[in-house]
Amino acid sequence: MMGFEVIKSGIFTLLQDRGRFGLTHLGVSNSGVMDEYASLMAHKILSNSLEDNLLVVVFGNIELKAHGNTVMSVTGAKCEFFVNDVPLATWENFKINSGDTIKIGKILEGQRVYLAVKHGFDIEKEFFSNSTTVKEELGGINGTQLKKGEFLPYKSSENFINNRLKQDFVPSYNDEVLTLRVVLGYQEDNFSQEEKNKFFSSIYEVTADFNRMACRLKGEVIHSDLEGIISEGICFGAIQIPKNGQPIILLKERQTIGGYPKIGSVLSIDCFKLAQRKVGSKIRFENIDIQTAQNKVKEFYKTFE
Amino acid sequence: MQISIASVDSVIIYFSKEISQETSLIVKRAYSILKELDNKNFIEIIPSYTSILLTYNINIYDFKTLKNDLENLLSEIKIDENEAKSIITVDVYYGTDVGLDLQDMSDKTQLSIEQIIKLHTSKLYDIYAIGFMPGFAYMASVDDKIAMPRLENPRKKIPKGSVAIADNQTAIYPKDSPGGWNIIGKTAFELFDKSLESLSPLSIKNQIQFKSISKEEFLAQGGVL
Repeated sequence: MMGFEVIKSGIFTLLQDRGRFGLTHLGVSNSGVMDEYASLMAHKILSNSLEDNLLVVVFGNIELKAHGNTVMSVTGAKCEFFVNDVPLATWENFKINSGDTIKIGKILEGQRVYLAVKHGFDIEKEFFSNSTTVKEELGGINGTQLKKGEFLPYKSSENFINNRLKQDFVPSYNDEVLTLRVVLGYQEDNFSQEEKNKFFSSIYEVTADFNRMACRLKGEVIHSDLEGIISEGICFGAIQIPKNGQPIILLKERQTIGGYPKIGSVLSIDCFKLAQRKVGSKIRFENIDIQTAQNKVKEFYKTFE
Repeated sequence: MQISIASVDSVIIYFSKEISQETSLIVKRAYSILKELDNKNFIEIIPSYTSILLTYNINIYDFKTLKNDLENLLSEIKIDENEAKSIITVDVYYGTDVGLDLQDMSDKTQLSIEQIIKLHTSKLYDIYAIGFMPGFAYMASVDDKIAMPRLENPRKKIPKGSVAIADNQTAIYPKDSPGGWNIIGKTAFELFDKSLESLSPLSIKNQIQFKSISKEEFLAQGGVL
């Protein structure tokens, strides 16, 4: 069988795709890649289907041995990337020969490295998706993170045309303050104009409480006139304001329903940028109307057509 | 009915500001109507106590068009009292060895354990929402006499299959989880079963009837103490 043998797994390497849809009415999380820009670009560089799966490396230190020829790409966070100990560039595709050793060492800028192979890994989907949700024991290999000694099968690929993303399209993840655009909604009427002004004019900081489920911020305290709300569906990017007034942005592995008041939602394509920020990064919010927001999102996905 | 923006590609439909059985029936009816459309451009439909969150394909709908369509579709929902309800019976072993809070509840309510069991099994429960974790169904309403606030110190681990009460709601933990509900028994009934095509035997349309069984029956059903 052809594929990667996992020599070193990294601490929390996950198999992901765009997510598991259609089961939220049962409480099953959408899950999926946190940064769709980098992950879809990894597939685009390989001319893959955008629905294919890939690996997400968050703490570096992964080593794979190729059994069989393939073509691969690495995108996302800036990292040390070696094939047979030769350092290589990311946001580009490479031919991999049987016997090659692929290593990702330290992550240098950003949070998530995406590693894709031509046609994706040949792993059976679980409930329509390969996305790993560890707390639900769904997806990936056995519903959990990658382990040493596991095997990631792929179909052999010999056809190789070099594709490299233009430098202009390679994002940097170290801007001084990241602006997140917000569509107001949900309980926005329960936040006074004064509170909204505070929200949109303050600088927040990403706390250590940041995972696949949510990102907790700290900064100016925001209040609504609500104690809590009746539990309701939570969408991607929803901004919860709990009693302590510190915003929580709900991300891919969020729970499906919840009872905190929400001022609106961060634009999906901006959540992808947030996914690459580290603890201590500075955030500010900017209001965007629904029509402009939808146009921005449509534009974003056109890039990958 | 009020339709609000939730995000760039989601709307939330509110049917009432308060939890009631009638509202829950309207939510269920609306949920059925939306599901029956089998519209591929409706990506997620999440019903809850008083609302439905709908995530949609923005290449097909803009907010205004969708809002209009939904208003036409859902504004005059009639509850059909005679709608066939499918009742699921859940066998529960109510013993103090698995019902970790039974004795405490008995002390607090001045009811015997037998009376608590009788009250819990005497009602047919509606499912108001499913969430928190896969297959976790919020059911209501338990008799006021056995309504109990959540524990002050939540447990780090509530065993899978635990049947529990929080305020006037009751639920079954589909798998081991932290939680603050009062545990009164345990079931071998699987709420999150990867071998099922539907993943869970429950939907919000079901009603639940709890039935008291002996320890022996519970063990024979594959129950674990």
